[in-house]
Parts: sequence; structure tokens; C-alpha cells
Amino acid sequence: MSFATDRAGRADTPPPRRSGGGVHLGIGLLIFAGLGLILESSYIFHVLILCFLWSIVVAGWDLVLGYAGIFNFAQLVFFAVGAYASGMLSISMGFHPIVALLIAAVVAGLFGLLIGLPCLRLRGEYVALFTFAVHLALPPLIIQGRALGTGGSTGLIGVPPLQAFGLTMHTVDKQAWYFLTLAAAALVLYAVYFRVLRGKLGKAFVAMRDAEDFARALGVNEYKHKLIAFILSATITGFAGALYAHYIGVVTPKILGNEFFLMVMLMLSVGGLGRFPGAILGAFAITIGNELLRDTGQYRLLLLGTCVVLVILLVPEGLPQLRERGARLFGRK
Amino acid sequence: MEQYLQIIISGIAQGAVYSVFAFGLSLVYGIARVLNFAHGSFYMAGAYIAWILSVGYLDLGYPAVFAILVPALFAIGLVFERLVIRPLRSSRNWRMATMMVTLGFAFFLDNLSLILFGPQDKLLPPFVTGRLVLGGMVFSHHEVAIFAAAVAIVIALELFLYRTMIGSAMRAIAQDVQGARMVGIDTNQVSGYTFGLSVVLAGVAGVLLAPIYLISPLGGWPPFLKAFVIVVFGGLGSTRGVLYAALILGVVEALVIFELGATWIMPVWLLTLLVVLMVRPQGLLGVWGR
Repeated sequence: MSFATDRAGRADTPPPRRSGGGVHLGIGLLIFAGLGLILESSYIFHVLILCFLWSIVVAGWDLVLGYAGIFNFAQLVFFAVGAYASGMLSISMGFHPIVALLIAAVVAGLFGLLIGLPCLRLRGEYVALFTFAVHLALPPLIIQGRALGTGGSTGLIGVPPLQAFGLTMHTVDKQAWYFLTLAAAALVLYAVYFRVLRGKLGKAFVAMRDAEDFARALGVNEYKHKLIAFILSATITGFAGALYAHYIGVVTPKILGNEFFLMVMLMLSVGGLGRFPGAILGAFAITIGNELLRDTGQYRLLLLGTCVVLVILLVPEGLPQLRERGARLFGRK
Repeated sequence: MEQYLQIIISGIAQGAVYSVFAFGLSLVYGIARVLNFAHGSFYMAGAYIAWILSVGYLDLGYPAVFAILVPALFAIGLVFERLVIRPLRSSRNWRMATMMVTLGFAFFLDNLSLILFGPQDKLLPPFVTGRLVLGGMVFSHHEVAIFAAAVAIVIALELFLYRTMIGSAMRAIAQDVQGARMVGIDTNQVSGYTFGLSVVLAGVAGVLLAPIYLISPLGGWPPFLKAFVIVVFGGLGSTRGVLYAALILGVVEALVIFELGATWIMPVWLLTLLVVLMVRPQGLLGVWGR
């Protein structure tokens, strides 16, 4: 099919989809807030904190990849920029961690602008390649940048914990981190899926994705909307990266390694692009699955890679597709 | 002066091999419409297979290695296209799906090599030992040999594309898929052959360069990015454009290593990509357009 449609270049974009209701988000928030009061195992807290952080990253990526239709593969670059910026600002420049966190998000946003500007002049695969090249080029630069305070290959050690109102949040204060990251994730998800995508920006994206020429003819400013999406996505991803840095306390170039990249890719493929809440469910499923696979050692990355291939081959639009297939199978709609 | 001449000639030799590798990427992108992120991993896979066949386990000589390697790589490409790429042809989100699936497959291959061969670099012996002295310039015989091999491959490829039925079918699909189907070309079959050929080119380039760059599980990524820059710079679908771009960039790389040091290689390639995309996105001699 794609052979035939490729020349036209339009039919490979997915059809419009309804977004799931905000009820999902509200119920999820309530359940997790309740869980936070009951849970005692700090390991489970840790895994859920990671789930919340990855939800933010995946939401940012989904916004650009799934809704805006930009083949951006540099998402973890923004995550790394946020983590490094916040770490470096608070370690070597002595900024208050919260101030550093906020500046880091802005820095990541500026990075988004920097990468987005050339990207939006390119089309399709060129964007993918360019952004992935940036992703591959960053670790050597970080390792070379010891003089600038990046910590070289050992990374930044001793990123200070967040503190506010006399409260200091160390890595071991799992419950506090749990509620902070839960709140951050809820806020970001609400903003992305219910404000931005339900607003003018989201409608412009759907229009451009489904009928680019028609949308342009109607006067939708593709360039502006895509740039805004790019910057927004970079900002929230950088914010998640900065939170991660203060939570773990250590930032190394491994952030840009295969493991994180495969995980985030798998989250999106499992959840399906542009199908809220698919990507978020994907983030939870993969983070938890990855923890369960910890014991498999070096085979874990092989398994993750295999999963990416199999998921895309078997359910190219993510697991939500299974439900539709099931419904078709049983003759219901 | 002689020093610079030597650097430029070495760069040309290097660039010739890059062009072999870049052709594989260009063919698959132009004909099968796939940006194959696993191309660099196939490059490494070729080098690893050659290592197993020669110094690693079986101790075969290079002629025997290539006699086994080339059909094996072609088969890998055919199977890869059949099992991983073709099922996606019915996907609504073809471009995204193929990019993600090939990227996932690249990570799969990389980690498979890591588990099978460990993180230590492997080394292939040079094809021929010895040095060639020309005036004040010194070249290793291996450098001369890979240059000759690369030129031979490029000529063979050009003849294949313009003088054979399958080559014509490939060019036809690259120009217009529906037109090609109408005149009775089996697009799926040709797409399979294209992948086979592409993997052969990638793997052979990996073997040619392995005595210089060593073999490591993640070693395919820098050449992959270089190949992409070359393909974009040369212009998609133009074999000659790719050749010229590879030679130019090979020389640029050699000069960068000499003047600035090896750490600047990748930043300079990226900068080149950026400049080309901004200034002349259709490339030097692009015919298929964007």
C-alpha cells in the first residue's frame, strides 16, 4: 500500500482520532494519590516515581511525534540537557535547586528552538536523521566538555536535593518524591493533552496531519505551530530531566545510551502514537517491565530491541489496536 | 606539500569505500522507500562475520571469506526485507513504522554482537601487507587495495543499474512505483533484491574498513551517519553524486583529522549535513528529489 501512497505522500498519516476523556486522568490521579498514602515499599515508590517521570517525557514526545507529526528522535537530548543544566547550575554555579530546575527547563526549551529551527525546514526522514545525529553527537561532546563542568564520562555527582520551605527532599525521601512527581506528571499531562491539544494548536496539528495542503490553504501556519510544539515538548522534557537529576543525584552520559532510548521508543510503540492515554500506559508498562527484567542482565537490551521490532510488526498502532481487533473479532463496534 | 598530497590521496581512498557503503543506504531509500537505521549495524555484522570466518575461528583466507560472506549477506538482506519490512507495507504510518522498526532492529543487532563478541574491539588483518613508497609519500598496500576494490564495486554497480534488467527495474521503481507496476515489475521482489544488495554493500564496506577502524558492537553508527551525509550531499538517487560527495567528504575528513584531531570528525560531518540541508537540499546531482 505504502508503495502506492508514498508518492502522494499523504495517505501514510493516520486518520483523526478521538482523545480519551479527562476522566481517565482524574481517576488515575486519585488512585495514585491514594496509593501514595498506603504504600510502604520504597522500591515500589521508586518504580512509580520513574513511571511518572517517563510519562512526562513520553507525553512530550507524543506531542511532537504523534500529534505534530515531526519525526523527532532527539527527545532524550532535551532530557539530558535539562538534567545537565540543572545539575551544573546548582553544583558549579551555586543556584538554588528550584531556581536551577526552572532555568533548566527554559534552557531545554531554547535547545528545542535551536534544533527545531533547522528541522522544520526539512521534511520527513531528513528530520529523523538530523535529530538522531544530534542524539548521537551529544555524548562525545559531554565527555569532551569536562572543562565546562559536565563532569566528562563520570558525569555529575552530588546534584543537590530539592529544597523548599525548610524541607529537603533527599533521594531516600521516596514518599515526598512520589507526590512531587505525581503532581508534576498530572500537571504536564493535563496541560499537554487537555489544554494544548484540545486548543487551537491541537486542532491545527490534526488538520495538518490529515490534510496538509488543505490546512495550509485555510491559513494554518504550519511552521509556527510546529515550532511551538517543538519548544513546548523540549521544555517539559527538560523539566522531567531536571527532576530526574535532583531525584537520583547523579547525571551521566548514560542518559543518552541505548537503554533509555529503547525504553522510550518502546513506550510509544506499545502505547501507540497520538492516542492518549496510550503512550502514558506504555510508559507505565515499559518502566515496570524493565524493572522486572533487571535480572536478565545484558540480555535486557537485546530483549528491549526485539520487543520494539515485534510490537511494531504485530501491532503497528500500539496495544490499543488489540482492543479494536478484539471488538471486530466478536462483531461488536 | 607532499604531506598534504598524501593526506588528500588517503582521503580519496577512504571516500571511495564510504561511497560503497553510502550506495547501500541510497538504494534502499530510493527504491524500497525505507530510511534504514540498521544500515550501520549491517556494516558491523559484515565485519563480524568476516572475523569469524578468518582470524576469529575458521582461519580462511580473504578470497574464501568473500565467497561465503557475499551470498550470506545477500540472504540476510532478503530475509530482513521479507520478515521485517514487507509486513509493514500495509501500515498506515509506513514511514514512522519503518524508521522505528529498523532502529529497533539496529539496537537488537548491536546488543547481539555485544553478547556474542563482547565489548573488546576485534581486528581484521590487512588484505595485503607492505608499503608503497611514491616520492616522499607512503601508502600501505591495504589502502591501495581497498581503493581499487571500492572503485571496482562502484563501476560494477553502475553497470548493474544501467545494463541489466533488474537494475532497470530498480531505477523504474525509484522513479515511479505505479508506473513500474503497470509495466509488470514485481515491486516486492525488487525491493527484496534491493535490500539484499544493500546489505552486501554495507557488509563488504565493513570488511574493507575493519583493518583500519577495528570492529566493535557500536562501531556502525559513525559510518552510518557519514553515509547519510554523503547521500544527502550527493543527491538521492544519483550514483555519481554519491561518489563525488564521498570523495570530497573523505578528503575533508582526512584534512580535519590532520589539522584539528580525530575528536572533530563527527562535529564536522554534522555541520556539513546542516550546511548542505540549508543551502542545497537536493544535493549535488539529485534526481529523485526530496
